[in-house]
Amino acid sequence: MMLMQRLFPNLVTNKLCSAKILTNFVLRCTYGLNNVGSDDPGVEIPEKKIVEEKTSLAMRAYLQRATQYNSFMDQQIHEYKIGKRHLANMMGVDPETFTQKDIDAAIGYLFPSGLYDPKARPLMRPPSEVFPPKKDAEFDESGRPFHVFFYTGKPNFYSILHNIATKLVELNKFEDSLRKNNILPDADKKLTSFGSQWLSKEDLEKKTVERLSDHEYKHFVVAIERLLNHACAYKLTEFISEYQKPMISTKSIVESSPVLYTKDGRAYVTVKDCPRKDARADVTVYYPGTGKLSINGKGIEFFDYIQAREQILFPLLFTDMIDKVDIEATVSGGGVSGKAGAIRFGISWCLCSFVDPEVVERMRIAGLLQKDYRRRERKKPGQARARRKFTWKKR
Amino acid sequence: MALFVKHLRLGLIVKHGFHPLPQLTAAKYSVYPPHYVEPVFKKQDIDKLQESGEIENYKLVPFKAARSNDTCSVFHDPLVSKFINYMLKKGQKKIARQVLENTFEKIKRLQLAKYNRETDPERKASIIIDPVIIFKKAVSNCKPLLKLTAVKRGGSYYQVPVPITDKESTFYAMRWFVHCGREKDKAVSFADFMASELINASNNDGRVFKKKLDLHKLCEANRAYAHYRWS
Repeated sequence: MMLMQRLFPNLVTNKLCSAKILTNFVLRCTYGLNNVGSDDPGVEIPEKKIVEEKTSLAMRAYLQRATQYNSFMDQQIHEYKIGKRHLANMMGVDPETFTQKDIDAAIGYLFPSGLYDPKARPLMRPPSEVFPPKKDAEFDESGRPFHVFFYTGKPNFYSILHNIATKLVELNKFEDSLRKNNILPDADKKLTSFGSQWLSKEDLEKKTVERLSDHEYKHFVVAIERLLNHACAYKLTEFISEYQKPMISTKSIVESSPVLYTKDGRAYVTVKDCPRKDARADVTVYYPGTGKLSINGKGIEFFDYIQAREQILFPLLFTDMIDKVDIEATVSGGGVSGKAGAIRFGISWCLCSFVDPEVVERMRIAGLLQKDYRRRERKKPGQARARRKFTWKKR
Repeated sequence: MALFVKHLRLGLIVKHGFHPLPQLTAAKYSVYPPHYVEPVFKKQDIDKLQESGEIENYKLVPFKAARSNDTCSVFHDPLVSKFINYMLKKGQKKIARQVLENTFEKIKRLQLAKYNRETDPERKASIIIDPVIIFKKAVSNCKPLLKLTAVKRGGSYYQVPVPITDKESTFYAMRWFVHCGREKDKAVSFADFMASELINASNNDGRVFKKKLDLHKLCEANRAYAHYRWS
C-alpha cells in the first residue's frame, strides 16, 4: 500500500475524495428523508420515489441497463488508467506524459506476438474505442417511443432510407414541373460519383449507432445511388455528400524515386524488389541512353516468349522512351510471365522520374504503376480445383 | 497486473469489428476493392478520354494493374487475344499463340499468292491481305442473330429462339471456329485448316458460316415456341 501510495499519490487521493463525496451524499439524503413534511425551507423534499412508481417497465429496465453500462465503463476506464501507469513504470517513463502511441509500442515490446492476424494480437486501447457506444433512451417515462420508426428496430438507419425516398419523390416532382414548362434538366450539372465513394458499412454503423447487415447496407447503397443518378440531383449535393467520402488520394502514392548520377554524369534511377507473382526484379534505368537492354546479362532474347517481350516494351512504348534510355535488370524467382511483369513494373516506376507528371498520370490510368496483387488461387477441399467442382452423382 | 491482463483479453474479443466490404461491383474473388477501375492501356483510348475531358474524373480513382497480355503495341488486338484464350488447351498459351501466328502467316501467303495471280487491277485492289482484318471479317460474318435455349413447359423441354447479345454472339462465332479446327482430319495442320476456314468465312462461305445458317434455320423452325420466352 505504501508503494502504491508513493507511486500513485493522485489516484489514492482521488479515491478518498470520491469516498468523501459518497458519504456526504448519503448523509444529506438521510437528513432529507428524516425531515419529510417539515416546514424547513432549506430542506428539499425528494419526490423521486413518486416518479419512479409512474415510470414504465421499459424505462426502468433502460435505467437499470444504463447505470450498469455506466458503472461498467467507469470500472473499465479506471482499470485502463491504472494499467497505463503500470506500463509507464515498467518502461521507466513518466506516467503523466505516457500517450496511446507509447502504450502500443510498450505492448508490442512486452508482449511480442507471432500471430498473423492483427486482430488476434494483444492490445490496450481506451475502453471507449473497444466497447461500442450505447444509445440514449429512445422513449419517454411512460414508455412511449420518441421516434416514428422505433418499432423497425433500427430507427436511425430507416430514417435515412426514408429521407432518401422522400427526396427522390421531391426531385421527381421538380423534374415534372420543369418538363411541363418545356425545360430539360441541365445535363452539365448532372452529378457523378467520380473520386468519391459511399460511406462504408462501418462508417454508417458509427453514424447510426446501429448494427447493420450486409443486406441492409446494400439497400442503402442502391437507394443513394438512385438518388445520385437522378437528373436533378444537383439540388441535393449537400445531402448526398453527407454519405460520401473521398477515395484515397492517389497523388501521394505516385512518388517518383530519387535520381542519382554516375561518375560520367549520366542520370539513373534504381528500383529494387519489384514484385509480380513469385518473381522479384531490380531495375536500373539510365537516361539519356540509346535503347540498350540487358536482363541478367542477356538482351531481350532472355525471353523467347513474345508476350513477355511485349510486356517489357509496354512502358517504353507507352512513354515513347524506347530509344532514349538504357535498362539493366536482374530478375530471380517465378516463371516467365512473372519475371516479365516484375521487370515491367520496375521500368514503369523508373521512367516516372524522367517523364512529365502528365505522362505519369497517363501511366497510372494504363495500370502500369499499380502493383498486381493477384496470386494463384488455392485448391479447395471438396472441389476438384480452385473453382471446378467434382461431377455430381446422385448415388 | 491482473487488471491489465483482463483488459487485454477483453480487447482481444471486441477489437474493432472489421468486416470485409460487401460485394457491390467487384467479382466474388477479386483481390481489388470494388472501387478499383479497369485500366485503359491503349494510347488512343486515353487520348479520347483527354479530348472529352473525362480524364479529370479519374484523377482520384485507383486503377487495377494492366494484365500480362495487355499492351499498347499496334500489334495488339483485343479480339485476337480473346480468340487465343478460347483456343488454348490446359493453359498452354504460348503454343496457342504460335499456332494462331502460323495461321495468320498462312492467310497472308494465300492472299498474297491470289493477289499476285490477279491481273485485273480492280479486283486486285479488292483483295484483303491483312490477316487480322480477314479474321475480324470472318468472325463478324459468323455471328448468329438468335440462339436456342431450353425452356420447360408442361413437363417437356422446348427449344425456344431468343435474342442474343453482341458479346455472346461473338463468343458463339469464335467457339465454332475452334470446334471446327478440332474436328478436322489429322493429316491437315490446324494452321492450314484454320487459314482456309477463315478466308472462306470472310467470303460468307465455309463450315462455320454454314453452322450459323443451320442455327438460324433451327430458330426459324422453332418460331412457334417463341412465345414461351415470356408466357
